[in-house]
Amino acid sequence: MTFALTCENLVKRYDGTAVVDHVGFHIDSGEAYGLLGPNGAGKTTTISMLVGLLRPDGGSVQVNGIEMGSDPVEAKRLIGYVPQEIALYPELTARENLRYFGRLYGLGRRRLAARITEVLDAVGLSERGDDKVQTYSGGMKRRANIGVALLHEPELLILDEPTVGVDPQSRVAILDSIERLVGEGVSLLYTSHYMEEVERVCTRVGIIDKGRVVADGTRRELVAELGGTDKVDLVLDGDVHAAAEKLRAVEGVTEAAVTGQNSLRLLAVGGRHLLPALLGAVDGLAQVTGVDVIEPDLEAAFLHLTGSTLRD
Amino acid sequence: MRPRPVVALVAANLLRQARDRVGLFFMVVMPFVTILFVGMAMGGASGDDELPVAVHAADGDRIGTAVISELEDAGTVRVVSPDSEQALRDAVRTGEAAAGLVIPRDGRELDLVMAQNTGTSMAARSEIDAAIGKVAAVLEAESAAEKAGATPEEAERFVRQAQERGVEGTVTVRGSGGDDTPTGFAYTAPANLLLFTFINSMAVAAALVESKRLGMVRRSVAAPLSGGRILLGEAVSRFVVALAQALLIIGVSSLLFDVAWGDPLGVAAVVGAFSLVATGAAMLVGAWVRSPQQAPAIGPPLGIVLGMLGGCLWPREVAGEPLNTIGYVFPHSWGMDALLTLSEPGTGIADVWTEVLVLGGMAVVVLGLALVVFRKRAVLVS
Repeated sequence: MTFALTCENLVKRYDGTAVVDHVGFHIDSGEAYGLLGPNGAGKTTTISMLVGLLRPDGGSVQVNGIEMGSDPVEAKRLIGYVPQEIALYPELTARENLRYFGRLYGLGRRRLAARITEVLDAVGLSERGDDKVQTYSGGMKRRANIGVALLHEPELLILDEPTVGVDPQSRVAILDSIERLVGEGVSLLYTSHYMEEVERVCTRVGIIDKGRVVADGTRRELVAELGGTDKVDLVLDGDVHAAAEKLRAVEGVTEAAVTGQNSLRLLAVGGRHLLPALLGAVDGLAQVTGVDVIEPDLEAAFLHLTGSTLRD
Repeated sequence: MRPRPVVALVAANLLRQARDRVGLFFMVVMPFVTILFVGMAMGGASGDDELPVAVHAADGDRIGTAVISELEDAGTVRVVSPDSEQALRDAVRTGEAAAGLVIPRDGRELDLVMAQNTGTSMAARSEIDAAIGKVAAVLEAESAAEKAGATPEEAERFVRQAQERGVEGTVTVRGSGGDDTPTGFAYTAPANLLLFTFINSMAVAAALVESKRLGMVRRSVAAPLSGGRILLGEAVSRFVVALAQALLIIGVSSLLFDVAWGDPLGVAAVVGAFSLVATGAAMLVGAWVRSPQQAPAIGPPLGIVLGMLGGCLWPREVAGEPLNTIGYVFPHSWGMDALLTLSEPGTGIADVWTEVLVLGGMAVVVLGLALVVFRKRAVLVS
């Protein structure tokens, strides 16, 4: 079977240290796959190798069966890549930026003109297409950034944190258009700091930590790995770090992460029933001012697998 | 190889350049302001005007008459005769005369008066030196003939015959500091062509750094085309800007300042080779530096220093031998030599082959270095 994307044993080392360490996963045709990981986990390095910007020190990448290593031009033709940064010329208009990239992708004059109109429409920039990008809001720039990747109608869309720094309204618009594309059959690789985005858009998730894929599966499969583990959020008035230390020693607590100046997140087997023990453990160290017990979700699975929250 | 991606890169870069108002000012306005003002300071001549030289000699003095005659015969000098030595000094001081020469009656020591070391005054001095040299040679020949037993009348006749024979041959002096160094706009136009072509190319290097910072280079690499074509597109963009700058200066200086550039083929070869060097330098700086602020901080000052060494800011005879020798390590000196040679009547591409080849070699070296830095810095694929 030919996958939209296959990567096997990808390795990238810097100064002898593997920042991507035998990463492997695949994306089915038409599937939306999320790659989750904290900062420095190796997401962007992995994506750079997938799109041909970085030569792997080991392993291979295939796009629709085409080897990136041996035929990068043909493999790249199938990919629409949205980088983390807004890679557009600010002094050019959105239309001019699209024309530039369309020519790089080899689109003919007529097809390019038609696609520019369609893409501007798809990302909601039809009315501002002839304005310079430098006059856009952050959200509009992000949408134009995504539009570039759609121009040549790629089979695989790779989005590296496409909603960083955008307002909630623009984020909703961006996610809507991505969902629409997936609905049309485009395969998707999506990385984000926002768990809710991945939960909304992706059907399967890979969790990457310290350069390794530590889990891979559907949301249900990943959450199931937690067993009867609940997520418990505590709001404390006192020394949260000392409290976290104490809480880790409580039987049934598998993780305790400081999530803010006054907040902790725990993973605890049968968390609801453990509350008296949890409150007792921090007695004298801090005063508990809020408790929230949440059913296991992807974020809990992430915490369980990596020992840290996604925004750490 | 499909040219579309390269054309796309060039078109986008040129569009960005056209929208950079400060950059346009330095390309379209600044060179001509410099040519105008520096050219006027150097005499304002477009190459065929005569230099005013003041000569004060006693009436009927043999040496004075001979020197004036030689200066007038040179064809590049207009001799004016002030009433007094003081009037001569005033004429030089106010700029009415490029230089002055006081010749005492039967004196062997002549007094050269110059206000400052401008290109005009240096050119005038060259003409005066040449004229005095010729007169001195005649006097020495007469003296030698008399010593050999000829009567004064015979000696004079022999020297005149020798002089007439000498006129049959022509000696052309070319190159820097030679007697034929043009003045005024004829000098400042080629000087500023080289200066601004290089400086503006270096300034354009900032656009490449900005493209890297924006992630445009990486995103372009993610497109289905080879890294070589991206490099080619970036290089052609800079070459076109350099060439446009050069052509603009050639066109406008020909129309407004009546500058004669000489053989079009020769000028095209020199300008093309020099633009390639400027392109390579821009690519090198663009690949090397990491922040867009560094490129304008390094490029234009470097361009100015190389321009100084190459005689683009002032004539090289002012700078002295050591600096001029150093100047030949860099492209501007070779470019100046070639363009000044071509501005002389009767010259062509055959007279500047050496300079064109040296510039071409420099272009290959600098472009090669840029390629190495592109790879080392992993600008494309790491």
